[in-house]
Amino acid sequence: MTAYSLWVMEYAAVPNYPLSGLVYGMHNQGTRKLPYCYIVIKGQGQIAMVDVGYNHKAHGEVLANTYGVRGWHSPREVLGEIGIAPGDISTVFITHAHFDHMGNIEDFPNATFYLEERELTKWVWTMSLPRRFRWLMLGIDPADIMRAVDLARQGRLVCVDGDRENVLPGVDLHAAFDTHTWGSMYVTVRNDLAANSQSSWGFCGDLAYTQENLRGNDPNDPEYIPVGLATGSQFNLIMTTEEMVKSVGGDVTRVVPPHEERLKDLFPSRITKLGLRITELALAEGEKSQVK
Amino acid sequence: MVDDATATYIVENQRCFEDFQQVASQLAGLLVLAAAGSKEATPDHPALLSARELFREADQSLRSARPTQRARKHHEHVAKAAAMIGAALQQTEGAFDLDRILTPLRAGYTELERAADALPGFEKVSYERACCGQSRTREFGADEGVRPTRPLRRPAQ
Repeated sequence: MTAYSLWVMEYAAVPNYPLSGLVYGMHNQGTRKLPYCYIVIKGQGQIAMVDVGYNHKAHGEVLANTYGVRGWHSPREVLGEIGIAPGDISTVFITHAHFDHMGNIEDFPNATFYLEERELTKWVWTMSLPRRFRWLMLGIDPADIMRAVDLARQGRLVCVDGDRENVLPGVDLHAAFDTHTWGSMYVTVRNDLAANSQSSWGFCGDLAYTQENLRGNDPNDPEYIPVGLATGSQFNLIMTTEEMVKSVGGDVTRVVPPHEERLKDLFPSRITKLGLRITELALAEGEKSQVK
Repeated sequence: MVDDATATYIVENQRCFEDFQQVASQLAGLLVLAAAGSKEATPDHPALLSARELFREADQSLRSARPTQRARKHHEHVAKAAAMIGAALQQTEGAFDLDRILTPLRAGYTELERAADALPGFEKVSYERACCGQSRTREFGADEGVRPTRPLRRPAQ
């Protein structure tokens, strides 16, 4: 059985991103398109997402004009391509608190958000450090923190302490502490709902940006290479990568980095009329393909 | 484009703006922890102590600012933000009543956002240190392989 349909939904992109930012040590290797995506998990009577993108009202102009981010579209437009409205989303897993992953929580009024408590507590602790430590605050938008207060007060913010199984049937959360961020998490979907699944998928947030992070540069001699940006340690990133790969039965193509442009080489996809790509990883029983 | 005097104002007041942002973030962070039921949200949390100290410094800096005509709007918004954030901080002394802290805090943060919109040079988020920040050099045509290096200098004592 296939319990969930899984789609990777592009909502914006940087056309030319230095490879050295994506894969540790790959300096002077040119640039690559960096799509910004979130994941949709639909099945078992629910629709969930992994991350929600950023808020264009707050960030769009600066990101577009200064950093070359192109083609941002709202969740209403992006999800509309597969017949889903933001109000249909019941659950969101935030892999980490950077603004391009949790910056759009207000567009999902009916969702409950899951986030590692350590991600929050360590950010707050970091804020108490002197100014010379401000690099540790990278990627955090104070407005997101403000919005998170509202979420918590509405009972829609669930702080997770470590791993948690079956948050939804077959959907597990895994702590990845001191990696890309203090309290990152990755999400696995056991798409046959079996305890020892033969059909698992891993959604890694920014624990891997590209397939090179998961299998190196030589397909005949794979190795793990950490991402180009980490608040925590590269050792932890590499050990977490091993866990993620094991959690999907050793098939690295089932660990899905949302910033990987070449998912289209591995899975069916299409470009929407907005110029954004939808990649279809799996289709639940009875679900119609959204890319054919 | 801004005139030289306004450019000087921008450079001199970025730190003050960022400090108010930091105070707002520290307070908001504590409120999230409190609202989420974290045991770490206590009135003696180091972030709160740091917020009070930083607020004092930023408020002092704000008082010595000399805005140009072009910068006046920005300065007014920062001043309003300071008043609101200061009021929010005052509410943290005693019982941790979320509403009484959050209402002025949110108003203060909105004023900071307006201040950022009123004058260039004041960013709502420090994108340069975010993931996307690394794309900036390419977008502006620099070649990452041949960037000039700066001479080493001893740090100021």
